[in-house]
Amino acid sequence: MDLHILDHRLRVTSISKSGLEQYTHPLIKLIFLRNRTRSEGLLTQTQHYLIRCKFFSLTETPENYTVVLDEEGFKELQPSEHLQVEGSTWLPLNVVSNGNASSSSQAVGVTKIAKSVIAPLAEQHVSVFMLSTYQTDFILVREKDLAVVVETLAEEFNVFREEGGESVPVHSQDACNGLQRNGREVPQATVHPVLIPENHFCVMSLDPDTLPAIATTLIDVLFYSNRSKEDASVDQDMEYIVFFSFSLIDGYISLVMDTEAQRQFPTDLLFTSSSGELWRMVRIGGQPLGFDECGIVAQISQPLADSDISAYYISTFSFDHALVPEEDLASVTEMLQAQRMSS
Amino acid sequence: MSSGYKPDILWSPHHADHYVICDTELSLYRIGPAGSSETKAGALPLSEETAATLLAINSDTPYMKCVAWYPKQEPECLLAVGQANGRVVLTSLGQGHNSKCKDLVGKEFVPKHARQCNTLAWNPVDSNWLAAGLDKHRADFSVLIWDISSKFSPESVPTEKVRLSGDVDSGLVVTKPLYELGQNDACLSLCWLPRDHQKLLLAGMHRNLAIFDLRNTSQKTFVNTKAIQGVTVDPHFQDRIASFFEGQVAIWDLRKFEKPVFTLTEQSKPLTKVVWCPTRMGLLATLTRDSNIIRLYDMQHTPMPFGDEVEPTIIERSIQPCSESIVSSFAWHPSAQNRMVVVSPSRVMNDFTVFERISLAWSSTTALMWACGRHLYECTEDAGQGAAAAEKDIATKMRERAQSRYGHDTQQVWRNHVLAGDDDPQLRSLWYTLHFMKQYTENVEQKQQSNKQSLLYSGIKNIVKSSSGTTETLRCWSGSDRQTDVLRYHSEERSLALQLCGWISRGPDIDVEPFLKSLEQEGEWERAAAVALFNLDIRRAIQILNKGASAEKGDLNLNVVAMALSGYTDEKNSLWREMCSSLRLQLKKPYLCIMFAFLTSEPGAFDAVLYESRVAVRDRVAFACMFLNDTQLPRYIDKLTNEMKEAGNLEGILLTGLTKDGVDLMESYVDRTGDVQTASFCMLKGTPGEVLKDPRVQCWIENYRNLLDAWRFWHKRAEFDIHRSKLDPSSKPLAQVFVSCNFCGKSISYSCSAMPHQGRGFSQYGVSGSPTKSKVTSCPGCRKPLPRCALCLMNMGTPVSSCPGTGKADEKADLTRDKKLAQFNNWFTWCHNCRHGGHAGHMLSWFRDHSECPVSACTCKCMQLDTTGNLVPSDSV
Repeated sequence: MDLHILDHRLRVTSISKSGLEQYTHPLIKLIFLRNRTRSEGLLTQTQHYLIRCKFFSLTETPENYTVVLDEEGFKELQPSEHLQVEGSTWLPLNVVSNGNASSSSQAVGVTKIAKSVIAPLAEQHVSVFMLSTYQTDFILVREKDLAVVVETLAEEFNVFREEGGESVPVHSQDACNGLQRNGREVPQATVHPVLIPENHFCVMSLDPDTLPAIATTLIDVLFYSNRSKEDASVDQDMEYIVFFSFSLIDGYISLVMDTEAQRQFPTDLLFTSSSGELWRMVRIGGQPLGFDECGIVAQISQPLADSDISAYYISTFSFDHALVPEEDLASVTEMLQAQRMSS
Repeated sequence: MSSGYKPDILWSPHHADHYVICDTELSLYRIGPAGSSETKAGALPLSEETAATLLAINSDTPYMKCVAWYPKQEPECLLAVGQANGRVVLTSLGQGHNSKCKDLVGKEFVPKHARQCNTLAWNPVDSNWLAAGLDKHRADFSVLIWDISSKFSPESVPTEKVRLSGDVDSGLVVTKPLYELGQNDACLSLCWLPRDHQKLLLAGMHRNLAIFDLRNTSQKTFVNTKAIQGVTVDPHFQDRIASFFEGQVAIWDLRKFEKPVFTLTEQSKPLTKVVWCPTRMGLLATLTRDSNIIRLYDMQHTPMPFGDEVEPTIIERSIQPCSESIVSSFAWHPSAQNRMVVVSPSRVMNDFTVFERISLAWSSTTALMWACGRHLYECTEDAGQGAAAAEKDIATKMRERAQSRYGHDTQQVWRNHVLAGDDDPQLRSLWYTLHFMKQYTENVEQKQQSNKQSLLYSGIKNIVKSSSGTTETLRCWSGSDRQTDVLRYHSEERSLALQLCGWISRGPDIDVEPFLKSLEQEGEWERAAAVALFNLDIRRAIQILNKGASAEKGDLNLNVVAMALSGYTDEKNSLWREMCSSLRLQLKKPYLCIMFAFLTSEPGAFDAVLYESRVAVRDRVAFACMFLNDTQLPRYIDKLTNEMKEAGNLEGILLTGLTKDGVDLMESYVDRTGDVQTASFCMLKGTPGEVLKDPRVQCWIENYRNLLDAWRFWHKRAEFDIHRSKLDPSSKPLAQVFVSCNFCGKSISYSCSAMPHQGRGFSQYGVSGSPTKSKVTSCPGCRKPLPRCALCLMNMGTPVSSCPGTGKADEKADLTRDKKLAQFNNWFTWCHNCRHGGHAGHMLSWFRDHSECPVSACTCKCMQLDTTGNLVPSDSV
């Protein structure tokens, strides 16, 4: 297995619901005026309007909008009282199966890397920010933790750092040994409350060429449609949650939305699985989780991995969200309850 | 494959006249000759000769990303279309409803998770297999191999779960692929390996090229590289693969799959298409985005595999198929050599053929050959038609002259111009000059006039310079007592010059009569008359003209001229003089013209004669020697010499002689004609030393020898070398090969010859009938016997017994030749490899029928080791 440290330097930000108007313009630019880095041609005269942002993710939650983007894109966001920025630079990691993956296990996504990446990092008290997309799973770690990450994962993986299109092997240096590991006293991880809304979610993708075709729907869904629900959705006991995620990373588009939002899009343009699988959400955290606590992802991914249940995992500014197959929800609920009991 | 909606072009694998343009729809075209009855009015012209007719349009498949044409003959025109959502649809163009592929058309292959289909490839052998390369999905495989014959299996997808996948009801949807490869990765390009159809080469997103073997999918070879955007196998060299990334193309050798064997020069724009030419070895065509140029890389002469040290020899060319217009895509014609059709973004198509570079070669004889594509063209000189003979190439002339022993007549030197064939006045003059010079030299040698030695083979220019003691006489017209007003000059040097000009023969008397006789014999009436006139014998001149008029095929006008001549008067203001000086210019014959010029000119001013370029140089010089005074003469000669040198006119050798000046003159002659043969023979006659040492002369001689070798005129070359060594002893090569005794190691030729080694080969030993009769069958140094001939088993040195099979009666006639051959038959020869050998004659006759060594236990293929042994001289003696 290979672990690639991707060539993006990311910031994690949050835009408050009320401040969205201020940021509509830069966000639309980031979504639609992308610099098409994949094979497509472009009219050169428009090139200088384009944003060279290659990593962009926008997730709407009842609390706020979480925007994860690279430094190039971050320049577009003007600071204001509505914009909260996490202080560190994050680096995305990506696990590559190298083709010789053990395809026996059906479980994919976070589950697959739970044991090999997430658990070891949690042990080393490295805080991770997960971002699953249609195409792959990104594990974001703080840049300052990189040495620890490399050292921790070098046992299991061939670590490569991508620089200017080349994969350069990274070796855990001996110097790292002297580096302080993050946590000495390991307090027993707090078990966070979970929320399981009634929505059915689907994870989809889109041919970047057809993005203009859904532009109006997308703008509508992202910026204008959910106002009325705003108040209701903050409620802890809510049956339905407002959740919509759009990401455009290295030219690949990924969308996570509930079936209600999905109905607004033309069916023939969005890509999804042929089986039309649907996902249920498990929201983790009663209080906003912050960025320093570690082991949250591990807490949920570990039991999922044990029972071989696949999952998506999307961290946001306030809470973490895991998506599990609807047919597996019962066992997941059971499992989480068991976990709560034991603690 | 296509990107965006730029049209791509795809040629039918089996119908050389069908191709498909795909952008948002598929359009089938047939290509045919322009203007033929077959092409209808709506045909699109593709080039001056060809036009395309639109046969069918298929717009059933939206969101096309890539297209692949079914590789087998039947069903024809079956296409697989990869869509943006990853579905692969089989479709067809221009086929009737009951065509063979009816069952297949409309069949869809749906991946579990929708994402873009980047590439498609049919298995070339198992043509039911279709490999599709998709973008990545976190939980799915990126390469799916579909079996197009597989049936829809309803149990594989529960119907209640297909809410999102659209029309499954048709029963034509297949969701279960035969193979799945490449998890968690994107596949940008793939191709089947022709060497083993179970193997698949994939180019993935994680900067990998990987080869999977379908018989064991867990085993794969892969290599990390950036060049993953397209992979394509060289159809002519199945281990060679090209892959590209942005502007860079990497060439791989599958047998050494660790790193590219080389990369091509990076281009500034990203590449969109890289294709090997199917009809020509090692030709790769590449196209970059928004470019009007297709770049071709010729790797025909690139050795595969090659070491790291070697620079690849790649010839790069670019072609601009439709001038300014941007090329969107192109496709090689599957069978017509180097032909391609290009399509522009606006679907303007263009049919054209890439011309091969032409390589050409001269043969050593004047034939020229060139290769273009798969054709060889030979061009030979049109020999024949006497008129064209003069226009023959100098190489042809030299070849013919070499065969006629041109230059080898050392007795009657002038005869060489006859040997030269076509009557070139310059060569004629040259060989006469050399003839006269030789005569003079012999004369001098007889008289032992050592003080005149320096004038040997020097030209008139040098001779008149040293002129002294000139006397002048006013002579009478012969046969009359009238005084002329023409001064005539005499000196020893001047008469020598006249001798070299051929006007007078050697001896003290200056009698031109023999010269006139010889001219009359050759029918040169005008020239003879002019010479007679210049010798002030007007009566003789008239007599010659009359003779000329009455001769067979004589020109009756000569009588008229004679009449005019007879009216000569030295009256200054006479009508005759006036008329002659103006009318003479209308005379066509130069010699007649100068006769009147001479008669009408003022004393001492003979420019009309001296500068009449149509008159032979030797005659003008002789004239000058007679009538120009000591100041005028050298000036005139110098001027003429320079003129000749500049023009490279061989007549000028008369003036320069075989001196440095002569070499200069010859240089410009060779520059003009390339006739190194004449130059070599001529200069060999020059004073040894100075002239022969001139590097230019050595260069001519060496080039002539090389030329003879190239023509395989080895005997001629040997003759030339002999001829050369006679004239220039310093050119004799030293003996380089000696036969040494096996026992004492001394050369066996040493003690027998008083003269050590010098040019005497061992050929001289044991010659039959040699007067010494010294049988050298033993080493002269140690008296041990010489080795035995492998065939006759006699000790070497024993003369060869007469060759069996040579008819004695025929050979008798040519005794000298026989003898020469006999000498050679006794030579020692041996194989350098097995060291067996014997008499040259025996060996020759043995190897005429065998290729193996005559020694029974030896298996050496002596004759095959001798690269020149099988060459036959083309001037066989």
